[in-house]
Amino acid sequence: MYSGINISQTDARPMYLQIMEQIRARIVAGDWPMGRELPSIRALAAALSVSVITIKRAYLDLENEGVIVTRHGKGSFVADVNGLAGELQEEKLDEHLAAAAGLGRQLGLTPDDLAERLRRAIRNMDKK
Amino acid sequence: MNMLARKLIAKEFYLNRWLIAGSTLAGLAGLLVAAGGEMRFNIGMVTWLTTIVAFGVVLAMLGIATERKERALQFVLSLPLSPGDYVRIKLLGLLLCFFVPWAILSTGAVVLIGVMPGLPDGLLPFAVLLCGFMLANFSLVLCGALHTASEGLMTLVIIVTNMNVTLFIFLIGGIESLNFHLHAPAPVWNNAFWTVLAAEIATLAVTLSLPYFVAARRRDFN
Amino acid sequence: MTATKHIEMHAVRKAFRFFTLEDLTLELGPGQIMGFVGPNGAGKSTSIRLMTGLLTPDAGEVRVLGHSMPREQAVAKRDIGFVSDDMRLFAHATLGWHMQFVASIYPGWDAKYAQTLVKRFNLRPEQNVSGLSSGEHAKAVLLLALARRPRLLILDEPTSGLDPVARHEVLSEFMDVLRDEDRSILFSSHNTVDVERISDRISFIDRGRLIDSSDKEDFLERWRRIQLQLPAGTTVPDLPHVVSRVVDGQFVTLTTNRFSQDLLAFLGSNVRDVHRMSLEEIFVANVMHHRETRGQ
Repeated sequence: MYSGINISQTDARPMYLQIMEQIRARIVAGDWPMGRELPSIRALAAALSVSVITIKRAYLDLENEGVIVTRHGKGSFVADVNGLAGELQEEKLDEHLAAAAGLGRQLGLTPDDLAERLRRAIRNMDKK
Repeated sequence: MNMLARKLIAKEFYLNRWLIAGSTLAGLAGLLVAAGGEMRFNIGMVTWLTTIVAFGVVLAMLGIATERKERALQFVLSLPLSPGDYVRIKLLGLLLCFFVPWAILSTGAVVLIGVMPGLPDGLLPFAVLLCGFMLANFSLVLCGALHTASEGLMTLVIIVTNMNVTLFIFLIGGIESLNFHLHAPAPVWNNAFWTVLAAEIATLAVTLSLPYFVAARRRDFN
Repeated sequence: MTATKHIEMHAVRKAFRFFTLEDLTLELGPGQIMGFVGPNGAGKSTSIRLMTGLLTPDAGEVRVLGHSMPREQAVAKRDIGFVSDDMRLFAHATLGWHMQFVASIYPGWDAKYAQTLVKRFNLRPEQNVSGLSSGEHAKAVLLLALARRPRLLILDEPTSGLDPVARHEVLSEFMDVLRDEDRSILFSSHNTVDVERISDRISFIDRGRLIDSSDKEDFLERWRRIQLQLPAGTTVPDLPHVVSRVVDGQFVTLTTNRFSQDLLAFLGSNVRDVHRMSLEEIFVANVMHHRETRGQ
């Protein structure tokens, strides 16, 4: 059924985030097209052997992101995903930059040093 | 609850089926041997007697102590009944399990005495009292098993009730007004007989009602 | 009746010679799974026995499926499936006999589901109970409870003694129960990984007292380990909601049970890392903290 969605016990990220990510990935890829009904919270919980409360949270957060729409009493559906792919990519970029900033601080780099390294990375990429 | 009670009593019979069948057959075999007369009578009757007494003890032990020890008690208590229900159903179930072979073997003994030419019918009152005694004795064992979880106490109860049998025979045999008529050709149902019978019935009544008021009231099952 | 709580315990007290369960208050609503976690001897089994009518409270109230326990336990147990790890079936009967025995007592018995479980749990109905391994026996008892489809399942260490495959199957069946929002499960377990995964609510118990009871996600969000690296000569002041502090030279590890962005902001640039905590870590930290505050 939904056994393709996998919750890893060894992944450091919380279960609800893993679920959200996997659902988002399927939506962005087009496997779950716009308007398609998501499995009910209890059905997905049973299919994944994950608590109902975790699925509820994932759905709630996905709705806050605008990725899905929940109609009371009817279920949850994939929302209009135009521009969603781009949004997700930008979020990912911000995450990476935050990590880089943290590392830079640990190494004792100034913001300028860090910016220089970023420019160097872009140059290397262009060379390839 | 009634349906549940019937199911649990049926379960009592089912789980003890080999014991019940085996004891009945052993007792009947004893009676058959006893029909041969003389020495064989003694051997046969001792077999018959021992079978009934041992059956009672093993039934009470298996039915109660083992169930408790093997934690099957927890399973039964998870069924839709109260602990009081459990005690009452247990009591009735095991009593019935004992009653069936006991009735068969008691009837067999009475028939043997009535039919065998060599046995004076004067033995009948004594036989009836002995059979009644064994029923009362069993309910004593049952009552003991339902009230104590201690293996030591249970062993004590078993030893005492075993001693009872021999004591009873000597006691009753010692009563003049009873043993005087033992060899009579016709049974004599005199006062002494009725008194002892009444005592047996009273014992039965007490040992069977005590669990209703005491064991059934137990509040904690840990 | 979806409005009734499935389990309600209010200020329950039960005293034994060497142990007392004190002031136990907890609740379980329909459609929920509650994980009951505590060290050995904390009072989990005692609490569960109070819920199933095997023990009578000295004080306080116990209501299960709306019925007062232990007084109305005969009625309540029609809809409760109780399985305890030290419970045994009748040794000299077969599993099949037990199945027809239970089926004849409970109208809710689902024969088809029972057959499915027999296959899934890899059991043989014609086998005598005395011949079952401890794992098979555990699965057999669970089968008998699950196939009745009771509204409430109360389970004392249901997966202890099960191999990983069996555990996976059993947990999957538990979650299947929760497809129905009128059914609920309370289970006690040492396996914090399983508890973390499938529980909606979690209650921690230690030394006869309930020390915490909350939504699982709430626990996972509130607790953090924060690693700091402090410049020489500075210390971190005592902060509220910091449950433990471990100092190793410049490196300090704080454990908090009320994580917030404000706390992070306050600690500022000293913060090296922030880790979420597993349920097991939360549990141990919580117990230690409570023992300290109670001077034990």
